[in-house]
Amino acid sequence: MGITGEAWGWLGLVAGVAAGFALVAGLARLAGLPIQYNLRNVVVRWRSSVATVLGIAAVVAVFVALRAMARGIEASSASTGDPDNLLVVRKGSQAESGSLVTREQFRTIEAFEGIARNAAGRPVISAEVVAVISAARAQGPGEANTLVRGVTASGVELRPQVRLVEGRWFEPGRREIVVARSLARRFRDFGLGGEVKAGRARLRVVGHFEAGGSAFDSEAWMDADEARAVFDREPYSSLLLRPAGPEQARALVARIEGDRRFSLRAEGEVDYYSKQTMTATPIKYIAAVLGVAMSMGAVFAAMNTMYASVAARTREIGTLRVLGYSRRAVVACFMVEGAFLAAAGGMAGCALARLTDGLTTGTIDVQSFAETVFQFRVTPDLMGLGLAFAVLIGLAGSLLPALRAARTPVISALKSA
Amino acid sequence: MTTWTFIVKNALRNPRRSLLTVSSVAVSAALLTSMLTLQRELTVPPESEGASLRIIARNKVSLMQPLPARQMAEIERIPGIVAVTPFTYFGGQYNDEEFTSFAQFAVDPARFRSLLVEGRITEGDYDAWVKDRTGCMVGRDTMKRYGLKVGDRMKFRGTFYPCDLDLRIAAVFEGTVDDRGVFFHHKLLDELTGDLGTVGTWYLRVESAEKVPGVIAAIDGRFANTAAEVRAESERAFQMGFVGMLGNVAALIRTVNGVIVFTLALVSASTMSMAIRERFREMAVLKALGYKRRDLLGFILAEGFGLSVLGGALGIGGAWAAWTLLDIQKLTGGVFIVFEVTPRIMATAGLVAAVLGVVASLGPAISVGRMSVVSGLKTLD
Repeated sequence: MGITGEAWGWLGLVAGVAAGFALVAGLARLAGLPIQYNLRNVVVRWRSSVATVLGIAAVVAVFVALRAMARGIEASSASTGDPDNLLVVRKGSQAESGSLVTREQFRTIEAFEGIARNAAGRPVISAEVVAVISAARAQGPGEANTLVRGVTASGVELRPQVRLVEGRWFEPGRREIVVARSLARRFRDFGLGGEVKAGRARLRVVGHFEAGGSAFDSEAWMDADEARAVFDREPYSSLLLRPAGPEQARALVARIEGDRRFSLRAEGEVDYYSKQTMTATPIKYIAAVLGVAMSMGAVFAAMNTMYASVAARTREIGTLRVLGYSRRAVVACFMVEGAFLAAAGGMAGCALARLTDGLTTGTIDVQSFAETVFQFRVTPDLMGLGLAFAVLIGLAGSLLPALRAARTPVISALKSA
Repeated sequence: MTTWTFIVKNALRNPRRSLLTVSSVAVSAALLTSMLTLQRELTVPPESEGASLRIIARNKVSLMQPLPARQMAEIERIPGIVAVTPFTYFGGQYNDEEFTSFAQFAVDPARFRSLLVEGRITEGDYDAWVKDRTGCMVGRDTMKRYGLKVGDRMKFRGTFYPCDLDLRIAAVFEGTVDDRGVFFHHKLLDELTGDLGTVGTWYLRVESAEKVPGVIAAIDGRFANTAAEVRAESERAFQMGFVGMLGNVAALIRTVNGVIVFTLALVSASTMSMAIRERFREMAVLKALGYKRRDLLGFILAEGFGLSVLGGALGIGGAWAAWTLLDIQKLTGGVFIVFEVTPRIMATAGLVAAVLGVVASLGPAISVGRMSVVSGLKTLD
């Protein structure tokens, strides 16, 4: 197995951080800054250093964790689908649950040329029904919605991401259902052998599947025709098909969308899912607002620490100036000190946020109104963002105290007790 | 100099530090207030007086599953009901905007009138709407947001239903908890969809609050073991169902609140100990002068408490002013509507700030109490 993209990301993060430190150290050496003096100071005044570091760590941890949640939702959508598949939905619908494809439309499209054929010579196309059922939660009272997908045999074939991990698949013509394992933990009746109620109908859970963190991990699957009967639906919701090749794919899209009778939209399954990320938007919004507000508090706190540290070191600053360090050097070294403190906080915060990585959680999807299950994804780029954010807080918090340190008159500084 | 001026002078001797401490507590308190408000907005839907008389009946399968229109006659026969109307969520996109934050419902206008308990018509005419098949009744907030007036047209693209709407504004309502909705004739929807013979939900009003449980049981019982079983619940219970669907988001907000409180504690504790540590010598002098341990403890606690409460008051007041004065609907594109900072929330945040002030001063206070006069006088800091 080669090195994955994620591994490259981690390498990049480590390299970036190391390069940052090397750059600062190198510049400091060139400019002749007493960096060691500052770093020792951080250690000697450990009480206020720890408070600042922890404060910034909390800010960064919240920011990164919230972004990781939004990232998880996006990742679940982005990793859904097969690049070879086309999804057909009603024009104007925003989600499959709001889409309609009539049986006639299905029969017509099924006969189109350019659709791949399976071993039996049948076109690889699945007409599916998407419905929502309300089911009791596993923990506590209350119910939540689950998306139920009625699929055909080709529907399973068209989605290699979905693997049965327990039990068996449903049998056509029987009221049986196979649920995502990640949902099984969240709903009371979704265990093997459980009975799921859909109005008067009873669906027996005969298997669990896993779908590699994709959107299918928030679904329950059953036979398409049974689903139409149970949910009292004449039309289907969507069609999933596999074109014989890229050329045929383009031709099929043009033919389906160009047909006035249809009013249907066809697009790559992957493209369709990568756009279903509306649920992540408000979370990103909250992360940004919280990040800004909390960082303001952290800047004030860091300023306090740095001012105290400057005030307590008036004499030492005087000494530095007498030794020949310029005002600019004094400003620079206090800012480096602040940035260093903040970077330490940022790393602690990222480490804290990293603990949420892989944590499974769920919320209502704003498009399908069904529960969507996803995992927090703390990726290297988010951690890099968190670190940069921390350093920014540190620089903002130490600028004014550093200027004050530089302005201290040498004589009075030396005289001070 | 009295004890109080002594405390105040001490608090102000390093005005910059006091200012920074107060500011950081203020920011955190404002944040805590806002987060508590957010939590309330998400988990406690606004209550209205009429809600206690209203019932929503949906398909037992789920809210997304339609109900047969023929159930209407059966429901009307149940005693204790004043009126029942179909209530179907249309879910349209207004003027092709990407996210439409106000809902559109298809209702039976004539019957819907008696369900609009707390709403009143401020512009246009309800009867004109009843007569105009392509007319609609719009909430005042939506009218204001888009600068609409009676007689204007509103166009919606159907995302759930395979049809588009072109409505004429006939009446404007206000005074409900959510003055954003657009209501139109169910007959129009039936016409455009080729009469599916279905409705989204049933919305009904009961004669008195005591009769609500009986009517709910009667509806559920009437359709038990039919093709479309019904789940009726009070409007309040229905809203709370949505809260349950939020899943772990509510828990997440609680965690964030915890982190904010923790940061707040950290910041105030660190500044207080900074302020006290540089005064160790003076404290020793005070001790030598005969001040009791209790007195010193009192000075420190009063200062920490005072700064923290001042910061808290500023932050909470600021958050209250901001969320009261700012148009939260406009700001969040209509995602949040009320965002009310209640007295209870302000009291909670205030209590947190006050307790933190005391807790943060405890550490330094204890070390001052423990120190001996001699070692205190020796301190060089």
